[in-house]
This record gives sequence, C-alpha cells and structure tokens, in this order.
Amino acid sequence: MSSLKELQDLVHEKFGIEASALDPGASMREKGFDSLALVEFLFVIEDRFGISMSDEDSNIDTLAQLSAVVDKLIAAKAA
Amino acid sequence: MNQVAVTGLGVVSPHGDDAQAMFAALMRAESTVQPIFPELPKPAAAALAPFDESRWFTKLQLAGVDRVSQLAVAAADLAMRDAGLGPDAPSDIDPERIGVFAGCGMGGAAALETAYRGGRVPPLTIPAFMPNAPASHVAMRHRVQGPVLTYSVACASSAVAIAEAAKAIQRGDVDLAIAGGSEALIVPGVVLAWQAMQTLASFKPGEAATAIRPFASDRSGFCLGEGAAFLVLESTERARRRGARSYARLSGWGISSDATHLTKPDAPGQARALRAALRQADLQPRDVGYCNAHGTATRIGDVVEHDALAAVWGSELDRLRVSSTKALHGHLLGAAGALEAVITVLALHRRQLPPNAHADAVDPACQLNLVRAADDSAASGVDAAISNSFAFGGTNAVLLFSRG
Repeated sequence: MSSLKELQDLVHEKFGIEASALDPGASMREKGFDSLALVEFLFVIEDRFGISMSDEDSNIDTLAQLSAVVDKLIAAKAA
Repeated sequence: MNQVAVTGLGVVSPHGDDAQAMFAALMRAESTVQPIFPELPKPAAAALAPFDESRWFTKLQLAGVDRVSQLAVAAADLAMRDAGLGPDAPSDIDPERIGVFAGCGMGGAAALETAYRGGRVPPLTIPAFMPNAPASHVAMRHRVQGPVLTYSVACASSAVAIAEAAKAIQRGDVDLAIAGGSEALIVPGVVLAWQAMQTLASFKPGEAATAIRPFASDRSGFCLGEGAAFLVLESTERARRRGARSYARLSGWGISSDATHLTKPDAPGQARALRAALRQADLQPRDVGYCNAHGTATRIGDVVEHDALAAVWGSELDRLRVSSTKALHGHLLGAAGALEAVITVLALHRRQLPPNAHADAVDPACQLNLVRAADDSAASGVDAAISNSFAFGGTNAVLLFSRG
C-alpha cells in the first residue's frame, strides 16, 4: 500500500499544507520547502514509519518520489 | 558625523506586542511575573511574552526556527512598520546599506532543552540554537545585506548592539539599522541553572507578581523574563528628508569593562560607562532627568548601581529620577537593554516616567529619587534620559537618549 496518503496527512499536520495544495508530482521546493524544512520532514517521516532514510533522500523533490522511497524502505523492513 | 534618530519601536514583551500599550501598563505598575513550572523542586516565577507565531510565520517557515528567533522577527517587523518601512512601503534603501545589530545572551534555549530531554535529537537543533540565528532571520525577513551582527554580552547584549548600530549610523557605514535583541530561555533546565546561581528572587505562594523589588530593603533578586525589542535607527538628516517621525535622538553611549570579577559588579566600571555616555552627548549629569536603572534587585547589584550613579551625579543625584522597570517585566537578559531602551525612549517621548514598583521600604544603601506609581511630578522637565545595562562578564553599557 502506498504511503502517499499518510505523507499528505503528515504534511498537513506538520506544515499546515492541504493535500489539495500540493500535487504529488509538484516540486516541494517550489512550494516553499527549503532544504531545512525537508530535513525536518524526513526526520518526522522516520519517526512515524520507524525507518531510516539516507542523506541522499533529502534531494527528493516531490511527494510521489518521497512516497516511493518510503514504500521501499517499509517493504525492506517487513521482509 | 551623523546624529542618530530613533524612528521605529517594536516589542514582543511580557506586556504584549504594542509598545505604547506596554508603556501604559508599566505606568499602571502592572506586573507580568507569574509562577512557572510547578514541577520544579523550588518555586520559580518568570514573565512570559504572550505571542502568536502564526502572525509572522507559516508552519512551513517555522522549521528550525526557535522561539528566540520568532520573537526577534516579530519585534523587528513591528519596529520597521512603526518606522513607516513595512513590507508594503516604497523603499529607496540599498539593501547593502541596512544593518541588523542584535543582542542575544543564550540563543535557542528551547531547541537545546529538547535535544537534552531524551528521544531523538531533531536535525535542526544547531541552526535553531545558534545565538546569531535571530539576527539572520531578521535579515532574511527584511532583505538586509549589510552587516548582520550578533552581540552576546550577557545582560548588556542588546544595549551594546544598539550602541554599535548607532556608531554605524554616525559614521555613515549604514543608512538604516535594525537594532535590539531577543531572549527566550524560560525552560526548566535554564531556570534550574539560574536558581543554582542564587540570583533569582524568592517569594511566598501567591506573591510572585511582587517578587522583584528593585532598591527595596527586602529585595531578593530578579525573575527571568522573555521577549524581544528592536529600534530603527537612522541619521536625523535621513529621517527628516523622508518625513519620518523621530521619537528621540540616541545622543550618547558609553561602554566600559570592570575587568575585576566575572559576576560581581563594580561601581567604578559602571561610572566609566556613565561618564562616557554623558561626554559623548556633551551633557552634564544635571541635564539628564531620568534613569531606567539596570536594577536587578540583587543584594549587591542595586547598591553598586547606586554608588556608580552617586559617583557621577554627586550633589545632583537627587535631581535624577530613577526606576527599574524589571520589577514589572522581569529580567530579559540579552533583550533587557533593548526593551528598556524602548521604555526609556517612550518615557522621553510621552514625558511620563514609569514607576519603580514594589519598593515600599527603600534600602538606605541605595537611596535614589525613585519614581513612584502615579507620580508624574518631574516628567515634564525631562529632556534626556539614560538606560543602564550591566552584564555578567563585567561589560557595562549606558545609552543616553535626548528629546528632539
């Protein structure tokens, strides 16, 4: 199951941005996420899903990309 | 050499974020000191600044921004708006000729406390904590590309910052300075550390509001306060040219070092700063009608400040009206000098002197002509006023403001 919905909920909870205002394919940076906000978001994601993301994941720019990485890490954890 | 005008005032203080309303509350001797952290072994009290960060930040913008920086951004923004330089105002100022001069004693205490308190350490703890973050956030908000400097000189931090900003305006290094400071360290760990230092006021249950009693026989120290205050400084010529309102001129400043003891204040050192400020403003002691005292209500500090004022004012000491407003807003440490500078400027501008509250019986060792609540007797003749800030570490800063 895709983590996208849960990530959208997290974005709303943490940054007050509605899912409808952030297209999964849109650049998060262009929506105002600077590198620091992204780092903080990855930290929250790690806590929520019990996964560990790599430094390279902070280069991710869309929610869809982020969701794909999270899904892979969750699957690896379950395996 | 340029003269320095104060054209904007902004505060986020324990008495709220409207500088004029804050001053009015001080005139009514309203204390903001209240009990905090009931879980601590020893009773604690502090003055907290009511603050709604959503007025200045989206949730996204708050990533890695400690409260100390949030307060700074808000107070600086209010000061710029007050100076007629809000975000919508047309501006002809070269960003490279604007400076931010900010005082901060500790930095982001809440960020550090969170990191120490178990669990995973948030990745933005360092940028949130670093003491120059408030100045940088103010700079980013107003696109300031000139000097963006932080002064960490304990309780004199923001008074020193304002003096340094004034020098930059005087020399023509910058055309506009956003000068002040912020402090937000009311977290359990920091309160415990201050309690261990034995400088905080003791108080009976239900009496926190009157715990700080500057210059009183029964004084026992101060309570911590939090907040931020900024002044907009520019040359009197520039202020006149753009038709800006000038609250007062910053006509003198004196900075000295005791070089005697890390924490024990020293009257000769303080007197040197007082004399330097007078000398620069080309004024005599009798020309200064009001002193917003450092007045931390510690056993030793108030006596030493009295001695320093007495040494400089001599037989004119009784002409000088004195009050420590810390009784009402607590000790803002790195932001104290800036908040009290705003209060001093407003005292001159409004010709009203805020009272020295809670000193029913004045200590004979610090007999000063204290301003009492509802006493407006001498305010009308006050054309110049000083604000004292004396720091741990031995640095003394005196700011001297003049009407007109």
